[in-house]
Amino acid sequence: MGSSGQGQSNFDLSFKILLIGDSGVGKSSLLVSFISNAVDDLAPTIGVDFKIKLFTVGGKKLKLTIWDTAGQERFRTLTSSYYRGAQGIVLVYDVTRRDTFTNLSDVWAKEVELYSTNQDCIKMLVGNKVDRESERVVSREEGISLAKEFGCLYLECSARTRENVERCFEELALKIMEVPSLLEEGSTVGKRNILKQKQEQHTPPAGSCCS
Amino acid sequence: MNFCRYAALRRQLLIDPQVLKNGSCSPDVVMDNPLSQNPDSMWGRFFRNAELERMVDQDLTRLYPEHGSYFQTPGCQGMLRRILLLWCLRHPVYGYRQGMHELLAPLLYVLHIDLELLSEVRKVYEDHFTDIIDGFSFHENDWTHKFDFKKLPEYMEDCNGSESPVKINSLGELEPKIQTIVLLSDAYGTEGELGVVLSEKFLEHDAHCMFDALMNGTGGAVAMAEFFSPSPFGGSHTMFPPIIESSAALYHLLSIIDSSLHSHLVELGVEPQYFALRWLRVLFGREFALEDLLVIWDEIFAYENTKFNKPGTNDAESNVGVLNSSRGALIAAFAVSMILQLRSSLLATENATSCLQRLLNFPVDVDLLKLLAKAKSLQALAVEAINSTPLLILPRLHGRRNAGFTKAHIPSLDLTSPRTTLNMAHESYWEERWRVLHMEEERKQGSAASAEKQVPNRKKGWSERVRLRLSRTKCDPFRSKATFRKKNETDEGRKNIGGDVDFGHKIPAEVEEQDVKDTNFSTSETRCSSGCPGNEENSSNISDLSTPVRGTNDYVNMSGRSSVASNFSAEENDTDSVNFEPLQANPESSPLPVSELDPDDDTLNSTQNYHSVIKQAAGIKERKLLSDKFQLFWKFGRNINEGTSDRAAVSEDAIACDSGSDCNNVAGSSIVNGCNSTSGISKAEIIDQNLIFSLSDLGQSMLENIQVIESVFQQDPDQMGSLENCKNAIVGEGHITAMAALEELRKISNLLSEM
Repeated sequence: MGSSGQGQSNFDLSFKILLIGDSGVGKSSLLVSFISNAVDDLAPTIGVDFKIKLFTVGGKKLKLTIWDTAGQERFRTLTSSYYRGAQGIVLVYDVTRRDTFTNLSDVWAKEVELYSTNQDCIKMLVGNKVDRESERVVSREEGISLAKEFGCLYLECSARTRENVERCFEELALKIMEVPSLLEEGSTVGKRNILKQKQEQHTPPAGSCCS
Repeated sequence: MNFCRYAALRRQLLIDPQVLKNGSCSPDVVMDNPLSQNPDSMWGRFFRNAELERMVDQDLTRLYPEHGSYFQTPGCQGMLRRILLLWCLRHPVYGYRQGMHELLAPLLYVLHIDLELLSEVRKVYEDHFTDIIDGFSFHENDWTHKFDFKKLPEYMEDCNGSESPVKINSLGELEPKIQTIVLLSDAYGTEGELGVVLSEKFLEHDAHCMFDALMNGTGGAVAMAEFFSPSPFGGSHTMFPPIIESSAALYHLLSIIDSSLHSHLVELGVEPQYFALRWLRVLFGREFALEDLLVIWDEIFAYENTKFNKPGTNDAESNVGVLNSSRGALIAAFAVSMILQLRSSLLATENATSCLQRLLNFPVDVDLLKLLAKAKSLQALAVEAINSTPLLILPRLHGRRNAGFTKAHIPSLDLTSPRTTLNMAHESYWEERWRVLHMEEERKQGSAASAEKQVPNRKKGWSERVRLRLSRTKCDPFRSKATFRKKNETDEGRKNIGGDVDFGHKIPAEVEEQDVKDTNFSTSETRCSSGCPGNEENSSNISDLSTPVRGTNDYVNMSGRSSVASNFSAEENDTDSVNFEPLQANPESSPLPVSELDPDDDTLNSTQNYHSVIKQAAGIKERKLLSDKFQLFWKFGRNINEGTSDRAAVSEDAIACDSGSDCNNVAGSSIVNGCNSTSGISKAEIIDQNLIFSLSDLGQSMLENIQVIESVFQQDPDQMGSLENCKNAIVGEGHITAMAALEELRKISNLLSEM
């Protein structure tokens, strides 16, 4: 199939991004909104799912592999493997539900600390569902101060209206590219694969098949 | 009784403290007040329930967005909610986990559909109903009940369109399906003692019972709740949650059935739990549309769920997990056939992410019946795998876990069971085979340039996998044709949503054809290894089945047929000996290989003999691998032998196969160019075709064949020179190894004729 082979050469950098946060905050919606511009209702994620998006930021063609985890899965055994090798982690909460916000510091930040294998990994705090302004219970200021505390990026967005959705991933990608170690990972990973640091047992096939 | 229990439980567990406060019984105000910190207080429970309720609701509102017309109705949501809450409260160990609601919803849906149908039937045959049923009490009870749910359009159509009110004089004149429904709803009918089996009033109770049975497995192995459990399975002696254990079991089964695909996935680091978690937790609910899912579930639930007890061990030890029953085996087999369905595209993929993407986005347009048939054909094998090899799973599991934490590990090493390590040497077999086929095809089309390119990096070349994939697709029509033949027969059964439909007896031919086809390749793989030590090169010759002595046209036919013939040999415990040569010599006179390949009555004996002979002969090389393989086929054979009456059906497939022109093309193209280097392997495959002749005859004919091949080799160099350079390189090397292989074969044939 042509596309997979083409895909290999079609981007300069490849990053793994992880979406975490409580169940129902809109991680999948955020992702779908980013990938396909659609704003459908979605069934809850079970286990893990992921999407791949190719887009251009700062003159570089990027391939983002975005892992979308089930919010409830944090109790579970598999999570550690999701974190493996991620260059960016997006912590999502719902601005209309305070518990999802407090859980970020109570639960999710600890998870990241525990499982993230990448010291330099870029984190981003995202408050979702700002289209429901009337129901908002977590203010922007609170969000910003928490982001400062974690030392991570901050953005409010709405998967439904697509407000700030693109920007969220763009900023994250730009930030990742600023970090030399991550940049290097991203450029080598493209030649290999994302899940695993594959042993260099065979020459990259790209040269022979693209003629 | 269950109805009462459900109602009682509902009253007991779904509490409302407000109601109680105003009630007659005076609660202890010190303990039971909203501010009480006591977790056992009424209010404490209430708040915990509220949290649970919130979680459940959050998922229920997102249940099947595409089927909102039913599932999002308040009535349905309410029932789902109560049932889930009740179950979760009764099983605090599990609590509510995402996905549980999608196990319940289909059950409720089935009940709802049946009731829907009942009401429609009643409308249509209203007169009739009052006739045959003692109408009075009946009307009072059920008929007056109105449905909350919107009617599904297709059912409206069904009943309004095709079955306009017809006067029917007796129950027997009704369609069987409608008959059943009428009987089940008849309090005084044949089912009378059970009361009204189909009743809207007890829809919720029924759904709860079914859900509870599904989750707890009613004492059997497959208890869906376990897939949600974070802690090891009850009697399990591993340290892993059941879902991980079961995922590993899937891979283990895959490694037995298709070791090359297994090692490909392992090599890329595609861990099974990434996709198996979702597949298993909702029992494939996310991968198929609801209507299809019900068919799958029917199949799954039709299998026994009794735990296997392995002889010689006590209960605790024999427990390898949730899949440890016939039903579990079918689930595993189905999952594996799903993976196999994606086989070619997975093999064509060079990185884990893309593999996972394919596995997590299972194609919607698959032939479900074919998939199910395949799963059932693999079920017996899955039983063996699950039952016999717990010890093989464990080290792998452990390895996988390690790989999860220590990055430096190379998963493929950790994950591979001893058995698969042996097979690793041949992982490239498939690729090689198809590569050769396609190199030759390509050459035929004159695109020699790209063929040349493949030679240097043919082991892992991306493009070749692509081609490989294409070739598989090309072959598909031939398979699906066979399937199609049977499809009509089974359609009837499929429509029957609630019933226990057993496709098993209807489409065995297709089943065998498929699974044996799979094993077939590995057969030749094995042979290959026994015959030619350095088979890396030789395996490329496998496709050249024919000797140049034969006419090419004949071969084109033959190749189609031979694949069937070899299926047969596998079916007959893959031992019996038909000499391939005579068959090939007069192909036109034997359109149905089947007719010639009468099974010997003493197949079992000959299997044993053959088994040991081959073992001896192959003892020189790769003895272990071979015997492993044979055990596998032995299983297959035993399994398949049971259904000998299906032979006629298979012969149909043979015809289909012959007429499958695509298939012939693929094979044919390889002949036109490339039969110069017939190697030992083809011979090995020929052995496979043998069904009639005795062993010494076999040895004799082998000798003859070897002579023929040798003579060809001697004449050949000129011919080879005329081919392209790249081809030359292969053939040159192939030549040497093929000669070596011939030597081996000579030894084997001597052994055989001596017997």
